[in-house]
Amino acid sequence: MKAVSVSSAAISNALRYSNARMQVDLVKAMKEMDTSRVADLGLALGARSAQSINFHRDIDRLQGIVDSNALVTSRLSSTQAALGNLSDFAQNLMSVLTTAISGDAAATTVRDTGTATLQSLTSILNTSVNGEYLFAGINTDTKPLADFSATSAAKIAFDTAFSNYFGFAQTDLQAANITAAQMTDFLNDPSVTDQFLGADWTNWSSATDQTITSRIALSDTSQTSVSANIDGVRKLAMAAAIVSDLFDANLSDGARQAVAQRALSLAGEATSDLTQTQAQTGIIEKRVSDASDRMTMQIDLFNRHILDLEGVDGYEVANRVNDLVAHIQTSYELTARIQQLSLLNFLT
Amino acid sequence: MSLSTALNIAQSSLRATSLQTSVVSRNVSDAHDPDYARRAAVVASMAPGARVVEIQRSANEQLFRQYVAALSAWSGQSTLSSGMDRLQLAVNGADNSASASTAIGALQQALQFYATSPSNQSLGQSVIVAAQQVVRTLNDGTQALQDFRTQTDGEIATAVGELNNLLGQFEAANRAVVNGTRAGTDVSDALDQRDAILKKIAEYVPVSTFTRGDNDMVITTGDGTMLFETVPRTVSFTPSSGYAAGAQGNTIYIDNVPLSAGPANSAEANGKLAGMLQLRDGVASTMQAQLDEIARGLITAFAEGDPPDAAGLFTWSGAPAIPSSGTLVDGLAGQIRVNAAAANNPSLLRDGGINGAAYVVNSDGSSYADLLIAYSERLDEPMDFAPSAGITVTSSVTSYSANAIGWFEGVRQRAQVAADNKEALAARTAEALSNDTGVNVDNELALLLDLEHAYQASARVLNTVNQMLDSLLEAVR
Repeated sequence: MKAVSVSSAAISNALRYSNARMQVDLVKAMKEMDTSRVADLGLALGARSAQSINFHRDIDRLQGIVDSNALVTSRLSSTQAALGNLSDFAQNLMSVLTTAISGDAAATTVRDTGTATLQSLTSILNTSVNGEYLFAGINTDTKPLADFSATSAAKIAFDTAFSNYFGFAQTDLQAANITAAQMTDFLNDPSVTDQFLGADWTNWSSATDQTITSRIALSDTSQTSVSANIDGVRKLAMAAAIVSDLFDANLSDGARQAVAQRALSLAGEATSDLTQTQAQTGIIEKRVSDASDRMTMQIDLFNRHILDLEGVDGYEVANRVNDLVAHIQTSYELTARIQQLSLLNFLT
Repeated sequence: MSLSTALNIAQSSLRATSLQTSVVSRNVSDAHDPDYARRAAVVASMAPGARVVEIQRSANEQLFRQYVAALSAWSGQSTLSSGMDRLQLAVNGADNSASASTAIGALQQALQFYATSPSNQSLGQSVIVAAQQVVRTLNDGTQALQDFRTQTDGEIATAVGELNNLLGQFEAANRAVVNGTRAGTDVSDALDQRDAILKKIAEYVPVSTFTRGDNDMVITTGDGTMLFETVPRTVSFTPSSGYAAGAQGNTIYIDNVPLSAGPANSAEANGKLAGMLQLRDGVASTMQAQLDEIARGLITAFAEGDPPDAAGLFTWSGAPAIPSSGTLVDGLAGQIRVNAAAANNPSLLRDGGINGAAYVVNSDGSSYADLLIAYSERLDEPMDFAPSAGITVTSSVTSYSANAIGWFEGVRQRAQVAADNKEALAARTAEALSNDTGVNVDNELALLLDLEHAYQASARVLNTVNQMLDSLLEAVR
């Protein structure tokens, strides 16, 4: 009769299977303790692994955009500073021109101010950041603004317009006969205004109207540069150019007054245009920094989700390791005892 | 009754005891052989005093069947699960570092940086490098998958050879059992051997058995194909020398009936052969299809033209055309390349024109980012994927590549959990079977003590009768 039976092989193998399991678990638990993450992500999450992968990729992408936003921010703040400088030069030019209109300034002073303004304008607009010309639109490899020198296209075009209109050059003695009204007409003539405010601005600028587009958030793009072709720059360039060129010419006081009048009104418009551009740039700067803040928050949030998905409770793992070690020790001890447990040892 | 009868009885008892002792010693010597079933020497009294010893082999048909079933389930499942572990490392790499998803993420980031400073040639170059990494991932993944299939195919061929060999051994063992049974001799050893071979066969295919007259055993597979009946049936398989994406592998035939691998991608396999078939044609093929779809998605996302009609950054053997939407192209992941024109001049990616002047979008300047941003957006836009690849039919390339990993890890997890369960079941049934049919040395030793006593008593009887006879003869003298 066999009521209950257990075979010797079963006795000696009793703990083998569970021991092997526990050792596998111990290896996993130690790895988890070491990394604070589940040992085998795929096995732990199964089909939800896609979630964790998406979170990781989104974090990398967001971090990438935050990093590239830093570049955008530096471009925008350089632009902002440059626009501020331009505005200052426009103000300065205006104050000199105001004095000139009231007849208190020497022609040379006014001319020098115009020339200085033009030079500063050119140097500011030709600023480069990271090897890119800041105001070049998207044509950032080429200097956006050409010099206004004797050989430049802009100067030649202006001289041509003058001589076409009046029949002689600025430096000609006859220029002294030009009346204030004639001068005003000339300065409002399309042949002149087109060079600055119209299609012929290309003599001055090789910038494109299209500006740099940047992705500033996962689903948000923005224009993140300012072109040298904006109205403020064109008007300031015209104001500075006519002052520096015509105050050098052989003109009557009346004509000079007309030039100063026209330049003053242009510089005024330029100031308000530049201020407006500054405001727009400021809005974009704010958008970029807001987007960066938002994305940094998102990254934190995603990290927390990832921790929920992949993380392990360090305290719990430590306990688990201790438990397993204790269990394995017990099972070794039991195995040793069971090995001694044989009738053979008691038969003599 | 007479003294001589007493002598005879004692003699027969001695004989019976020594036979029983020999059985006990056999039991003790084979106590740790898992294939050995305990023998019991059953003593029966016939005529007064006459005893016969019958050797009974303790067998438990029910438990044995359960064990054999658990064995084939576990063997198949562990084949499947360990194969998936290998696949995971070969295709996705440790922590998915070599996965297409990771590479596409890096590409998207490189695009983002390039789009922020499009005039920076080195950033353009880094996009190309990232694109090459994507291509390498897909190419290597395809290579690894097809190598894996070829290897598995070779393993199947080896396994089929072993199975045929085992069936041959089974024939010999079965014949010994049948002959022995007919001759009326003790067939316990032959039965042990036959059961041991059957266990090995069950590791390859799930079996069900029934025993006919004379202990003749017939084996069929789980789904009823005849595997052994008097003579072994042939298991045939022709291995392929190499695999291409989309190519179906050869079938295993048992007795000219194709062996079923079980439902595809169910993560359940019964028997090693079914496990390997599922790995080769199920999991690996589906993963290949997913890689092909990722490749198609990339070619489509980076296509040039408005509407996109020419392969751009990524190209393939059918370029300049782009693969038709929602249709699986077998082996595309192995064909995809970075367009040489773009690799030589990354600014073509920024300005358009990889396919010639007609596709140029920007000629104004080097800080044009719109196209780069558009590419990056297209990677996130939903597109149609072939339903045959097993996952979401409409999603973006980036989430499709992540879902491909999710799909695989899901199957792997199910296979692993099932393998753990089936291993536990196999271990438990093995223990139960061993408890039921195995030897307990302590029992045998106790039995030995009994036998020793019985032997001593019989010897004493002999001795006493001898003395009685002696004294009788003394009296007569």
